[in-house]
Amino acid sequence: MMTLKDLAKTSLGNLGRHKVRTVLSAIGVTVGILTLVTMLSLGVGVQREILRAFQGVGLETVRIYPVTEEQSSFSRFVEPQRTILITPELVDELGARDDVEAARPYIRVPWGANISLQVGDEMLQVSVDEVSWLPGEPFTEQPELIAGEELAADARGEIFVSLDPLRAVGYEDREAVAELIGQEVALVLKAPRGDTQAFPLRLVGVYEPKYGFDGPYFDAHIGVDDALALKAWWYNDPDILEHEGYDALTVKAASLNDAVQIVDLLQERGFEVRSLKTMLDTVNKTMVVVQTMLGSIGGLALFVASIGIANTMIMAIYERTKEIGILKAVGASPGDIRLLFVAEAALIGLLGGIVGTVGGWLLGLGLNRGILAYLKWKDVPVTGTFFSVTGWLVALALAFATMVGLLAGLYPAARAARLDPLEALRHE
Amino acid sequence: MDVVVRAVRLTRRYEMGDTFVDALRGVDLVLTRGEFVALVGPSGSGKSTVLNLIGGLDRPTSGEVWIDGTELSGSDEQTLTRHRRRHVGFVFQSFNLLPRLTAEENVALPLMFGDVPEMERLSRARMLLRRVGLGPRLIHRPGQLSGGEQQRVAIARALVGQPALLLADEPTGNLDTGTGAEIMALLKELNREQALTLLVVTHDPEVATFADRIVELRDGRVE
Repeated sequence: MMTLKDLAKTSLGNLGRHKVRTVLSAIGVTVGILTLVTMLSLGVGVQREILRAFQGVGLETVRIYPVTEEQSSFSRFVEPQRTILITPELVDELGARDDVEAARPYIRVPWGANISLQVGDEMLQVSVDEVSWLPGEPFTEQPELIAGEELAADARGEIFVSLDPLRAVGYEDREAVAELIGQEVALVLKAPRGDTQAFPLRLVGVYEPKYGFDGPYFDAHIGVDDALALKAWWYNDPDILEHEGYDALTVKAASLNDAVQIVDLLQERGFEVRSLKTMLDTVNKTMVVVQTMLGSIGGLALFVASIGIANTMIMAIYERTKEIGILKAVGASPGDIRLLFVAEAALIGLLGGIVGTVGGWLLGLGLNRGILAYLKWKDVPVTGTFFSVTGWLVALALAFATMVGLLAGLYPAARAARLDPLEALRHE
Repeated sequence: MDVVVRAVRLTRRYEMGDTFVDALRGVDLVLTRGEFVALVGPSGSGKSTVLNLIGGLDRPTSGEVWIDGTELSGSDEQTLTRHRRRHVGFVFQSFNLLPRLTAEENVALPLMFGDVPEMERLSRARMLLRRVGLGPRLIHRPGQLSGGEQQRVAIARALVGQPALLLADEPTGNLDTGTGAEIMALLKELNREQALTLLVVTHDPEVATFADRIVELRDGRVE
């Protein structure tokens, strides 16, 4: 038996004799492996980014939504009625559980509401949301705290705003902004029915968002009780909590296991429950579709490539018939001959695989840049590395490429091994 | 006497479309250790066929070939391969060297299939090349060597596996007379030095004079 070194040396020498042919045969493998590596690195990268982005939030976070009645063609232009409510009792019940660290209800300030921030005599339209800037949206950089402090989870009568509205009314630098902390400002609502109402709030902090695109961001955040007051006034319904409950509830379970159990419990009660785990599952399902598509292209390319390699090897065997005869005459067994040609075919696969892997890695880098540039241009606040080539991915790609070459070489090699030595020696 | 090869009633029939050609019609041949035998006869007499049957490159239609206690004609491919690897060395008319390997690599080649470590392969190859007078030509490729030098490389390659039997098919056929005589003298030396059994096929009476014994074939039979 030949050693691996003998095989590698002999195969490389033989392939080196026909460099152009070797390269052409390997191109198919290169294309296939390039596609596969790009696809898999996308899968790995996206999953890692999602995990990383969600790690701050924690996978043990569960979000619960009330259930609205089904919309029909008759009711779809009417605000849907809620059938299962997130009541304050539910919040208390969940909050009291041992496996729950925190249960935080959420009230959405009506989207269409005309809300202005009043600072001194100046008024500026802002959008108001819950206490949400921490721990951050996925894929975005953490905002920077400019002055004061963050809004507490149970804040009441307090407001936390982005820097831009203050800038717009003349507070240009940090010191000027810092002086505003603790001052009373107000959110002023103007309802379509003609009423106007000011909600006085104490400014506790100012931040600068880092969404990856240029602002300005006119954002303000308030606690859930204040949001409820705004909503009740907007809909002119003081008992709106009784009628509609909260708009959502965030539960932070003590552990991932507990989160799974809470999800089950609430789903049994009929709530719509989303956890990061369920979102991750959805993303994974989407990735499978993309990966299957790209995988089919890669697989097809590799199939065609294997035919090319087989063809190359059959030609090589025809050309080297006399050499095979000589090898047999000096004592090479059919197994030795088979091994030599299989190794040569596998080497073509490996060479194509190396180029394809490097190419796939470069393509991933390029695509990542392109995507980020496009997203920035489109003002989508997303950053991250979505193509990730890991060590095991490289190993897998090279092993697969080698395997494709090897399989393609089996039939030609068997033909070479079967050649009659005497006839082979007479071949010119 | 120590018998190396015993061929018994060898026949070989080739099919050529609808007709048959009987290359051998019952050949008996015995080679004893250290014997130098020339197999002569006109072309088509079956000389090369006998050589190929003894070398295990071909199988007889009937008859037996015994080498070192093993019968070849009924053996499987594996046994024939082992026979070619261990017991015989071939020297061909057209040298049959691999053109992209150096002289020493060509000589070492058979050992690659025989579990010999690389360093030992090369040292044995160099030793043999020095023995056949090619010490300064170790890393030349066949294209850089003369015909006589190439045939010396081929002889070294045939001997590298330390076979008991050397089979040469028209070893001087592609060489001029002077060079041919040198090659035959070399073979004769090796035959004496190492008690190497030598079977040389030739149609050249001059070449045959180097042999201890001449066997003449005509129409597939020993004359």
